[in-house]
Amino acid sequence: MMHMWRDYNPGEFHDELMAGPYQPRHFSYRLLDYLQSMRREAFEQRVADSELEMLERGITFTVYSDAGNIDRAWPFDIIPRMIAKREWDCTEKGLIQRVRALNQFINDIYNEGQIIKDGLIPADVVYQSKGYRPQCRGMQPAFGVWAHICGSDLVRDHNGTLYVLEDNLRVPSGVAYMLENRKTTKRILPELFKLLSISPVNDYPTHLASMLASLRPELSQPTMALLTPGIYNSAYYEHASLAQQAGLILLEGADLLVGQDGYVYMKTIHGLERVDVIYRRIDDDFIDPLVFREDSVLGIPGIMQSWRDGKIAIANAPGCGVADDKVIYAYVPEMIRYYLNEEPLLPNVPTWLCRDPDQLAHVLDNLPDLVVKPANESGGYGMLVGPHSSEAKIEEFRKLLQEDPDNYIAQPTLKLSVSPTIAGDHVAPRHVDLRPFILSGRDHYVTPGGLTRVALVEGSLVVNSSQGGGSKDTWVVDENGSGVSL
Amino acid sequence: MMLSRVAERVYWLARYLERVENTARLINVHTNLLMDLPADVEVGWFTLVTIFDGELFFHASYDEINENNVMHFLLADENNAISLINSLSALRENARTSLDILPEETWEQVNELYLLVKSELSAISNRRRRQKLLLSMSERCQTVWGILANHMSRNHGYYFMQTAKHLERADMTSRILELASLLLAENRSQSMRAVEGILWSHLLRALSAQQMFTHSRNNDVNAEAVLAFLLRDSAFPRSLFFSLGAINRYLSPLPGAQKVIDHHRQSIEFMFENPQENLPAEEIHNRMDALQIRLAGLNTAIGQQWFYPVHSS
Repeated sequence: MMHMWRDYNPGEFHDELMAGPYQPRHFSYRLLDYLQSMRREAFEQRVADSELEMLERGITFTVYSDAGNIDRAWPFDIIPRMIAKREWDCTEKGLIQRVRALNQFINDIYNEGQIIKDGLIPADVVYQSKGYRPQCRGMQPAFGVWAHICGSDLVRDHNGTLYVLEDNLRVPSGVAYMLENRKTTKRILPELFKLLSISPVNDYPTHLASMLASLRPELSQPTMALLTPGIYNSAYYEHASLAQQAGLILLEGADLLVGQDGYVYMKTIHGLERVDVIYRRIDDDFIDPLVFREDSVLGIPGIMQSWRDGKIAIANAPGCGVADDKVIYAYVPEMIRYYLNEEPLLPNVPTWLCRDPDQLAHVLDNLPDLVVKPANESGGYGMLVGPHSSEAKIEEFRKLLQEDPDNYIAQPTLKLSVSPTIAGDHVAPRHVDLRPFILSGRDHYVTPGGLTRVALVEGSLVVNSSQGGGSKDTWVVDENGSGVSL
Repeated sequence: MMLSRVAERVYWLARYLERVENTARLINVHTNLLMDLPADVEVGWFTLVTIFDGELFFHASYDEINENNVMHFLLADENNAISLINSLSALRENARTSLDILPEETWEQVNELYLLVKSELSAISNRRRRQKLLLSMSERCQTVWGILANHMSRNHGYYFMQTAKHLERADMTSRILELASLLLAENRSQSMRAVEGILWSHLLRALSAQQMFTHSRNNDVNAEAVLAFLLRDSAFPRSLFFSLGAINRYLSPLPGAQKVIDHHRQSIEFMFENPQENLPAEEIHNRMDALQIRLAGLNTAIGQQWFYPVHSS
């Protein structure tokens, strides 16, 4: 399939696998050599196999549209994205550092609020954030950890620097797809695992289970469950598959109730049985209709009181979404210095806070070149990508920014890195990001690599699966290793 | 530990799995039968509709009774609650929502079965392709049962599934035995009497029973022998006696099962009292009808005991 690569040229972008048009990186030449030496039919057969496999194994996600909800096969590109282990080791340290600081921050603002008293972050930025939950004040979860599962988004710009684009602390999704991508690659390209030393990812469910168990240190075998909004949620496949692999009971809100003794019980064929730890995959807005949204039918009335009384552990803790706020994001490097007395190992994307008049002026002057994001949205909704937007759209945002500057930040449009991706009958550079998953309980664990998302449309920067993105297996490779002996 | 909701889902998963397999086999065998029958017998395409009690629904949507309409009604009609595609969707939905407690291949197999049928459904008016599809459906269902038999712990989920399977099976067997009343009717036609041998072996094949019957009864295919075998044989796993006994066995390890079991026992005793060699056609018909009603009652009792109990917190 050599000729599929003939016109491959990453141009001005950093390429994850290529140092130049015909020049693989030192860690990727074995992969490229292998792929390019395959006959075209053989390669196409493997692509077809991977598609069939995803479809038959029912690895789908749901797209909500006017035409009804459709189950789509998980879009998967078989050419893996690679990262040198040496680089990854530093990244992993940086991610743990960041999550430690974020957890100390959340614990701080729901308790003493020292960082605010010390003037590092304005009080209104915290207390008026949509993710701030006054109902959580005074809580001290085990180990001071609130964000037990974090799915940070990392992006690389044209000069190769890896930035943290956002910290997803509420209910980050995608880890089951990371696991599925690896399973599929092992079936489709097994020979490569002999040639290369690739860090395994399949023990994530075990780490997840032991992290969750650590949240109830006083119990030797806590009963643990995953709370899903149900089968119509777009990530239901992930919920079910994680529950299966980590040995969690897959629950819906209607399976649970809070007893008169304040403990949380599930309805079983034996009657009521106690639950000790809940990994919730519903937003905290919906978790308890007595405390948050009254109209929630997904939640469990009274569960917040159980949590406050230490009768149930909830991961991620209610209220931790405050640190997901895009305005608060801008202060994370300061938090790292403040709480840990360390220099940040992973940089933030440079960020202008529109609440600051000088910075707002700069943003308004340069709107067509910038990315503007609202403080509290995820999934790429409600944002402006200046260089890819119409003049009308830009003017619409100019108005929004002038009316409600506190609610917005702006960042330069990064030239996101690309990675070779199948585009019909040839291989083409497509933009990618990376979502590693960080577990925090008694200990920390970071997935080697994570979920690489890829914008399948030429030139597009949108990697979200809900908006036409795909995914790749991600290989952290040890250049000194020679592959496992088979 | 088993959630009530999960218990309900695996219970229905098993019922639908058994129903899909039985329906596919029945239609396949019936098509083969009709190829051998003269046109003027009482058995035809519409017989299939009556087996499923679908007469009213059928006439509401179709003007004419013919192979295409009956096949569309039974296999592909999404407005027909008992159509195979609806059973299959329900099966798939229950498998998708029970991923966490079933062996992982279960879901893959069920999903592949669903995709296969979805892609072939437009071809069911082609008899050859339809027959091929029905055969591979039965095979896939058997694969799933095989996975469950060999990879699933004998836990409460398993007992619920086995209970459901035998309940569904007993229901289907009783429906097919209702056909026997046609064959025994005093006023049956001469051409019907001429093909009786074929019809009785058809009945056996529709329940996958022919081979085992032949072994145990020396190939003597007559009304009494076939009826006795399908009603009372204790070794054949699709006889009514076997299925009803299996329900008993699989219910017993479930928590608080005694009440349900007692109820079940009482309600089926009538089935095997006065074991006559020559039950009149009408009596068979009545007993099968009564059995179906009692199986529905058992289904309700199971739901009340385990799926929707009243919890006081």
